[in-house]
Amino acid sequence: MRRIFFSRQLSLLMFAFVFIALSGRNTFAGPAQFVIVNINAVGVGFNDPTPAAPIGGNTGTTLGQQRLIAFTYAASLWSARLDSNVPIRIRAQFTPLAPNVLGSAGPVSVIRDFPNAPIAGTWYHVALANKLAGVDLLPANDDINANFSTNFNFYLGIDNNHGALPDLVAVLLHEFAHGLGFSQSASLGTGALLSGFPDAYNTKLLDLTTGLHWNQMTNAQRLASATNFGRVVWDGSFVTAGVPNVLVFGSPDVKVISPPAIAGSYQFGTAAFGPAIGNPNVSSNVVAAVDVAEPPSGPNPAGTTTDGCSPFTNAAAVAGKIALVERGLCGFAVKARNATNAGAVGVIIYNQLANVNAAPPGMADDGINGQFVTIPAVSLRRADGLAIVGQLGGGVTANIEKDLSVRAGADPLGRARAYAPFPVVGGSSISHYDTVASRNLLMEPAINGDLTHKVKAPDDLTFELLRDVGWTFPDADGDGVVDDEDCNPNSDVRPTIVLCDLDSGVPNTVFANGCTMSDLIAQLAASSTNHGSFVSAVANLTNQWVRDGLIAGQQKGAIQSAAARCR
Amino acid sequence: MKKTHSMKERARFDKNSNPLSRALVMILFGAITTLLSVTLLPIGGNSTKGVSASTNPTTPQGTNKRYKATSPIVVDRQTGRLRMPTREETDELVQTLSTLAKRPEGLPQTSAASGAVAIDLDGGFGGVMLARPNGDGTFETKCVFTFEEGAEFLGLVEDNSQQ
Repeated sequence: MRRIFFSRQLSLLMFAFVFIALSGRNTFAGPAQFVIVNINAVGVGFNDPTPAAPIGGNTGTTLGQQRLIAFTYAASLWSARLDSNVPIRIRAQFTPLAPNVLGSAGPVSVIRDFPNAPIAGTWYHVALANKLAGVDLLPANDDINANFSTNFNFYLGIDNNHGALPDLVAVLLHEFAHGLGFSQSASLGTGALLSGFPDAYNTKLLDLTTGLHWNQMTNAQRLASATNFGRVVWDGSFVTAGVPNVLVFGSPDVKVISPPAIAGSYQFGTAAFGPAIGNPNVSSNVVAAVDVAEPPSGPNPAGTTTDGCSPFTNAAAVAGKIALVERGLCGFAVKARNATNAGAVGVIIYNQLANVNAAPPGMADDGINGQFVTIPAVSLRRADGLAIVGQLGGGVTANIEKDLSVRAGADPLGRARAYAPFPVVGGSSISHYDTVASRNLLMEPAINGDLTHKVKAPDDLTFELLRDVGWTFPDADGDGVVDDEDCNPNSDVRPTIVLCDLDSGVPNTVFANGCTMSDLIAQLAASSTNHGSFVSAVANLTNQWVRDGLIAGQQKGAIQSAAARCR
Repeated sequence: MKKTHSMKERARFDKNSNPLSRALVMILFGAITTLLSVTLLPIGGNSTKGVSASTNPTTPQGTNKRYKATSPIVVDRQTGRLRMPTREETDELVQTLSTLAKRPEGLPQTSAASGAVAIDLDGGFGGVMLARPNGDGTFETKCVFTFEEGAEFLGLVEDNSQQ
């Protein structure tokens, strides 16, 4: 058994050790206490007495109990991650909201220029401001508003086994994060800052075109940045450090290669039919498809020669190329099927005049034609489509690809992309991660079905962003490892290895799993049946440390000597 | 926004603390709070709330706009099938979205002697999670912050015929 124990420890040493300065630890406040302030009246919402069978680890036996348990569970997941000595008060209720509305949550207040504020003249969500100030700055107010629907059939289990139903815990984790600091407050209609001041979130939003952060921009620059698709990134250090552990290589991209006047990556929509982007990558000239102008038919208006709704009349020119088709008259799948039949290697469908300011649509299958599409299909904004049309005379080369040198959801330098589509979508632009992220992230605009309930790397990047705006995590021993993942939350973090008050003088290394060298020796002491076996175990462990290059031979001798004298 | 908890239930948890340490923390916290309140609290001492407030939601509230649905977004409780929302359901949806997804402008700032300044967001600036049902029993969700993006996601358009 001891040999197995050693092997496990050695694996940790080999793959995950880090040296962390044992000095300079921050004051530990402990896991943030969340207070769910239930404002539902008797008999409704959290107090609904309707009997319910326990489901997915939720042991409540009434609907109200199950809602409260799911709420409390979601809050507990954040509690384990966030450090504050000020309770976070969530004013919560379930009410009969309109159909299609699951619920909402957000900060009750924002505060700036409070004692210990990291950046002057900058708004912080109240829960974060309280944490940073170390005191409840607005004791008469709650910190987060939360209102969810009694009309919606949520999955109330806490095991993430939600099937086709929206998972309440995931929704709560997402909305709570907005309330904790994962949102920005500048107007996306005017670019104006909230009452003239930026927020903490703005300070980490970097526009790659201007090279400015959002707090450094004019209103006009912010407005432009809000729709700078793919070129607004989060440059906080914790998120950037987490990106390689979360996002995979292979960024889907629709990119014009030439001519230079229109070269670059374009915002695009994907299709629910045909092969996924990158399967295979496509790089070719772009050719405008031509078909007959369909006559009016019943309620349908006449077609055009650019809508791709009939077999292409220039199939020979399209064969082997990327077909360019205008949206309208018929379904997307019809157009893509016609492009496939013409021998195109890919198809781009751009918005028609009726959708002149709309985003590139997600393209649904009609249940008939999609099965015949064998080429990748993407959609573009009308302005982008027309830009390509305008250059076709001189030749346009484009790629529909997965760029394997770039992580999906990050820029080429590995910084997470913010959601910045065109047209701007009210407040959700910028206050989410980009939808191209892979793996899917909790803080994309949509709650994807494959999310876990984990909020930090390697599963997610939400926690990292909250750290970038000022949150810290529960770390009782100050070793840099969050307590609930720390192999010893209360490590012996003295700077040198001390056995039985005998100071070996050997630096006490902290490993990435949160254990120190002293912790490992203490574990041996606890598991050894007598002094001899303890000394032997310490010898084995320190010999391995020497082989791993963690300590020198002389240091090994000092530890073993102390162990021998430790009775 | 003021807390009136006398009639409310609170669910507390703190998985890592025992009752004794929790009590000590709360006593300490209370003492610190009291000590600091002289200089920090309450924000709002110089409140201009109710004086300079000009909450003007960028939503249809207060306007005469009516909206109509353009696609079936309601799962019928009787049949389980998708259908268009009724006029009442559409109006309710617009009303709910207008209430929840707002970003009020001109919110008053309140200040404290310490220099701290706060804004009560008046229930706005929160994320609103919407669901759009697919025909196969699944849902697409989207977190929106304004009425306009919610309306776009759900396919609500202005109903000019009603004006």
